[in-house]
Amino acid sequence: MVKIVKTYKVEKRRAAKTIARRKNWRKFGAAENDPPGPNPANTIVQVEEINIQIILNKENKNQEPEEDPLAKLKTQKLVSCRICKGDHWTTKCPYKDTLGPIQETLETDKKKPEEPSGGAPVQAAAAPVATNKQGGKYVPPSMRDGAAKGRGETMKSSRDESATIRVTNLSEDTRESDLQELFRPFGPIQRIYLAKDKNTGQSKGFAFINFHRREDAARAIAGVSGFGYDHLILNVEWAKPSGTA
Amino acid sequence: MCDLNEILKPILLHGHERAITQIKYNREGDLIFSAAKDNQPNVWYSLNGERLGSFKGHNGAVWCIDVNWDTTKVLTGSADNSCKLWDCETGKNLNTLDVKNAVRTCGFSYSGNLIMYSTDKTMGHPCEIHIFDVGDPGQMKSGEPCMIIPVAGPKITSAIWGPYEEYIIAGLESGEICHFDTKTGEKLNAVKEHSKQINDLQLSLDFSMLMSASKDTTAKLYDTTTLKHMKTYKTERPVNSAALSPLQEHVVLGGGQEAMEVTTTSTRVGKFDARFYHLIFEEEFGRVKGHFGPINSLAFHPDGKSYSSGGEDGYVRVHYFDPEYFDFRFEF
Repeated sequence: MVKIVKTYKVEKRRAAKTIARRKNWRKFGAAENDPPGPNPANTIVQVEEINIQIILNKENKNQEPEEDPLAKLKTQKLVSCRICKGDHWTTKCPYKDTLGPIQETLETDKKKPEEPSGGAPVQAAAAPVATNKQGGKYVPPSMRDGAAKGRGETMKSSRDESATIRVTNLSEDTRESDLQELFRPFGPIQRIYLAKDKNTGQSKGFAFINFHRREDAARAIAGVSGFGYDHLILNVEWAKPSGTA
Repeated sequence: MCDLNEILKPILLHGHERAITQIKYNREGDLIFSAAKDNQPNVWYSLNGERLGSFKGHNGAVWCIDVNWDTTKVLTGSADNSCKLWDCETGKNLNTLDVKNAVRTCGFSYSGNLIMYSTDKTMGHPCEIHIFDVGDPGQMKSGEPCMIIPVAGPKITSAIWGPYEEYIIAGLESGEICHFDTKTGEKLNAVKEHSKQINDLQLSLDFSMLMSASKDTTAKLYDTTTLKHMKTYKTERPVNSAALSPLQEHVVLGGGQEAMEVTTTSTRVGKFDARFYHLIFEEEFGRVKGHFGPINSLAFHPDGKSYSSGGEDGYVRVHYFDPEYFDFRFEF
């Protein structure tokens, strides 16, 4: 059983005579047999209230954040051409015919040595990690920001290697003090490096002498080269830069 | 008798089986007249949505409806090639004016002494405006109009009487709006601000401003006498109807997709809301949703405190404005 509860409120309104008269007109046509008051079959009062949505300022505010991401995307390079790095698809590249074949040959050359070694998959896996960090091309570890500030750079910058001589054919018993004694007469020495065996502490037979001045080094070469020391004849020459050695 | 609790809730008038074509209030606003593509126009009490009656007699879609100044007579134009005059109190058919083709628009002049209707350009018959003197029984019986204005070129899709019965304002299929002199039949003014068909023309309460709604997704405001274009209200769908508020500086626009595309569109994206724009700033400030089809006709209550919309869904919705609407002020 369904119980229908209807609540009515009878309201009196003052209206113009004409309106009041019309209010008492008899119904006609399809509504002829309707009882007084609205016929629920034709007149439905919506249960939910529908108010006007004021949207003027709200919408403007809502629209802006919607547009922003799009604007960002526009500035970002979504598409990058593999041939000329332009802002378009590779197939649409204007240099496709000229640059394309050259790059292809280059790439096949690169791939060839990789394939037999079997290291290609490893490199492929490593590369994306690097690109994520650097946000661009693959950078070998030695060239990266953190790693690059290692010994090599600081040594190079602090020491001038132009006044360095290399002494070879030293006897095993040679000590740094001996070398200092030998070379001091030519000029002030900045540093002496004697290569030694880690375990025994004996000389490995060669040493580097850093002079402060290049002239001193030149005189040392002239003076000591071919000089018999202990039972060996010393060989003295300009030290080659460390990178090429 | 009416439910006051529900006064803010919209009233749905479901007296039509097919799409609403035109709705109008009478001068005092106590009655709403609705015409639809079924053959029975209805009249309702606007206060509580009670149906007063229906006008039986047409055999085709009713394209247009109008009521005279003192709410004694109703005029309807139909696709059954006739225009009928009714007694508003009893619903009796007073006169039937037979035409060669479908009647697209009809209207009483302000005095109620003259009526006009325009016909479609179909079946080899040209588009014409016919004017009758309601007071002359001979004319009304014989169906011989006192004035025929032939319209060359694109047909009339919307027409209303101008002030003082001097001219008829007509909107054409091409988007042109023009004046036709009622005495000479001359085309007086013509402007072409719209690129597509004019769906609706409405005047402001004092007849000084004219509002046009067009299929080209805009509604425009003109000076009635000079047809000088003043304002444009832009939407993103065809505008089927546009009405000027008699109380505030607001206009309301209704529209939506074409009827043939409706079945493939959901209510949410269909944009079937009635949209409120500021008259001067041309800026949208509010929406009222509810219809699940395009709005075909809109009308403000003459007191500006409520409005009605008739949709392709066959419903007429009577909305009373909530206090928020009256409190709302534009920020300058």
